[in-house]
Amino acid sequence: MDDDFRELEAELRNLRPATVSRGLLERIARELDEPVSNGSAAVGRNHDKGAWVPWVILPIAAAIAFAVALPRQPAQSPGAAEPDGARGLAAAPAFKPVSAQNLLVSSRDEGYVTLADGTRARRIRQSYVDTITWKNPRTKASLTWSLPREEVRVTPISYE
Amino acid sequence: MTLIRQTTHSHPMEDAHAEQSWKEWFELHGPKLLLCARQWTRSRADAEDVVQDAFVRFWRRQRQLPGEPLALLLTSIRRAALDRARRESRRGAREEDALAGDADDLGLFGTAAEVDDRRRAIESALLRLPSEQREVLVLRIWGELTFAAIAHQLDVPLNTAASRYRYALAALRHELTGADCHG
Repeated sequence: MDDDFRELEAELRNLRPATVSRGLLERIARELDEPVSNGSAAVGRNHDKGAWVPWVILPIAAAIAFAVALPRQPAQSPGAAEPDGARGLAAAPAFKPVSAQNLLVSSRDEGYVTLADGTRARRIRQSYVDTITWKNPRTKASLTWSLPREEVRVTPISYE
Repeated sequence: MTLIRQTTHSHPMEDAHAEQSWKEWFELHGPKLLLCARQWTRSRADAEDVVQDAFVRFWRRQRQLPGEPLALLLTSIRRAALDRARRESRRGAREEDALAGDADDLGLFGTAAEVDDRRRAIESALLRLPSEQREVLVLRIWGELTFAAIAHQLDVPLNTAASRYRYALAALRHELTGADCHG
């Protein structure tokens, strides 16, 4: 960089980005469950308040749709001959859940909190990945579904 | 409305791995994140949303990870912003239109009392830069990233990042010199 650029760079570095808005701080505070001083009315996200919903709903819907649609037999024409036992197989549920696993990914002790009734409690936030596997006993096809899940445990504490 | 405020000192990078309140950390680095996010979003509200998401995720789950926190956050913010921009582009909007258009929504400039001519000229010149040059400049100057980190961030060769930075500075200097001559 030549000297002119150095001078300009120095000038730019002396310009500080504008501070963030109070609203943004409040929204982050709310998400992190820490009240900001002078707690005003709860401020929502600017957009996409329910943006997480599709990420939870869609995999579930897709898994269910897949499980229901995949094993369906082609429509039989009326009166068509069916081999012995075929009716029983087609009627049986094709995919059956064979395993469910909850994997604890992280656990964070968030310390003590005070509940609405004044009780002291300890809050622990845990992240899991739930994995459920279905199998089709007839075709041996399997379907595995993994979904992240967050769990917050609040345990009241009593000092005796 | 101001994008940037003049200051006589720079802040050292705080260690997000250490025990520190999120507010202290965010008050120090949030403005830089927001400024960078503005390079990839159509409005200040969009920028705030992506910064909020990235920061909450970072503070809850990622701050113990090794590496440079600011770089990690900027990566996260950029991805979220580009995802959002892709969704928006389906509705026919473009980032440049927003940046060049609605000045009230920019949130880039401070209150009138804070604004001086020189700062306003710099901000104006910044907004006229091609977006690929401006993002490199912002990441380098206010994001405090190295050229290597910028190249990684933008998925471009290191020389490209450095060249864009030089082009940006040259264009800024040209604009500002012109502004000085005329004004």
